[in-house]
Amino acid sequence: MTVPRPYALLAEVTYRCPLHCPYCSNPADHCRATASVADPEGGRRGARPTMALPTAHGVTNNGELTTEEWKRVIQEAAALGVLQIGFSGGEPLARPDLAELVHEARETKLYTNLVTSGIGLDDDRLRALRDAGLDSIQLSFQSDKPNLADEIAGARAHERKRSVAAKIRASGIPLSLNFVIHRRNIDRLAQMIELAEALDAERVELANVQFYGWAFRNRAALLPTREQVARARDVATAAKARLAGKIDIFYVLPDYYETRPKPCLNGWGQRYLTVNPIGDVLPCPTASSAIPDLRLENVRARDLDWIWRESESFNRFRGTEWMPEPCQSCPQREIDFGGCRCQAALLTGNAANTDPVCEFSPDRARVDAVLSEIHSCEHTDEWTYRTNPSAVAVSM
Amino acid sequence: MDATTIADLARPTLTQGVRLQIDSATGKNVLLYPEGIVELNDTAHEIVSRCDGRTLGEIVQALAEEYETDAAALAADVREILMALQHRKLVELT
Repeated sequence: MTVPRPYALLAEVTYRCPLHCPYCSNPADHCRATASVADPEGGRRGARPTMALPTAHGVTNNGELTTEEWKRVIQEAAALGVLQIGFSGGEPLARPDLAELVHEARETKLYTNLVTSGIGLDDDRLRALRDAGLDSIQLSFQSDKPNLADEIAGARAHERKRSVAAKIRASGIPLSLNFVIHRRNIDRLAQMIELAEALDAERVELANVQFYGWAFRNRAALLPTREQVARARDVATAAKARLAGKIDIFYVLPDYYETRPKPCLNGWGQRYLTVNPIGDVLPCPTASSAIPDLRLENVRARDLDWIWRESESFNRFRGTEWMPEPCQSCPQREIDFGGCRCQAALLTGNAANTDPVCEFSPDRARVDAVLSEIHSCEHTDEWTYRTNPSAVAVSM
Repeated sequence: MDATTIADLARPTLTQGVRLQIDSATGKNVLLYPEGIVELNDTAHEIVSRCDGRTLGEIVQALAEEYETDAAALAADVREILMALQHRKLVELT
């Protein structure tokens, strides 16, 4: 099989975050992702309770990659053909070396995008990022309404985000607003779009929550009702028409209500790769928690080129040969690629199954059961807030 | 601005946040923008690489001289390509 070249690297530089959004897609057990150490011999499989790696400064940040390690990852990604890098997390501003990493990415000609809550983005850091050549910022908002937004974030953040948005616009860096949409904020879609207009954003992403990580755990409280989804779709369509040529609006549908699966990642191992805070390289950012038997390769043990081309994890669902029926004989198989491997794993227990969102999946009833539960009177509104990986500080 | 055409005196420039670059994996010219990549064909690249503050008329003139073709015939193609890029918010007119 010819291996394609990747276009974009998602650099999850830390899982630390000042917000506690219950819809976070980070792994809900940070320990698997942060408390184990890469094994140069055998890759990494499943949770292993080992000590975090000490850094050169004698303090661990949950085994996070060092500045020099990230720089090497960036260079290897550029050599592999990557054109865009997204700095994400957690909250990437939690890393004091963020501007240095952005600078490195610009040196290797990558298009640099920062995905941030905005918390911690003061004048000095914004200037440093701009001077480093940051191309674009995606700023998250939880709602247009301050008290609801702060309740969702589990932190007083909304007013600070508004002032950060104004600073970003003044700095000249293009601004996108990102909203994750769920049952508690979906009825305010129109007002959230108005907030994007008021803050002079160039682009707004309204993404219905996808159920991975913390969001999977909190699904019963987050999944909107069918009526909410129908109303929101109308609002988004009308706003798109009204703001055409002014603000680009991207509305991501809630896939549980669809009859065909999303073309996840445009195919496994085709265009994207993710490096998580401890250097595990993932075909998809949620794969480490959703597919526990996936053998994860680590940049501390292998170079990115080998991992992308040769590793079992990147080749496991590449192309169409791995597909079961009904995908194998489906005319859509190179359009939706069988949907999402993580969703198949989470809902059916087997990542190689057809995404159960598909109406032809033998497991579609599992999705329908979740939906009918949401529409019963007994559904819950309670959620568990995201917590941070516990900091392990070791003095040398 | 009339949405159906671009005036000769309009100055097309790349929208802030859009970058023109060579894709080292293919040698082709691409536009990079938030969450997206567009590959340019040779004609589009010849036009985009001249969107540096010049007017549309000046761009057409420069291309006509470079390729020794008739400016009037060229103008329609240049307009069409710039309008497509403007529609995708990759080029803006000032």
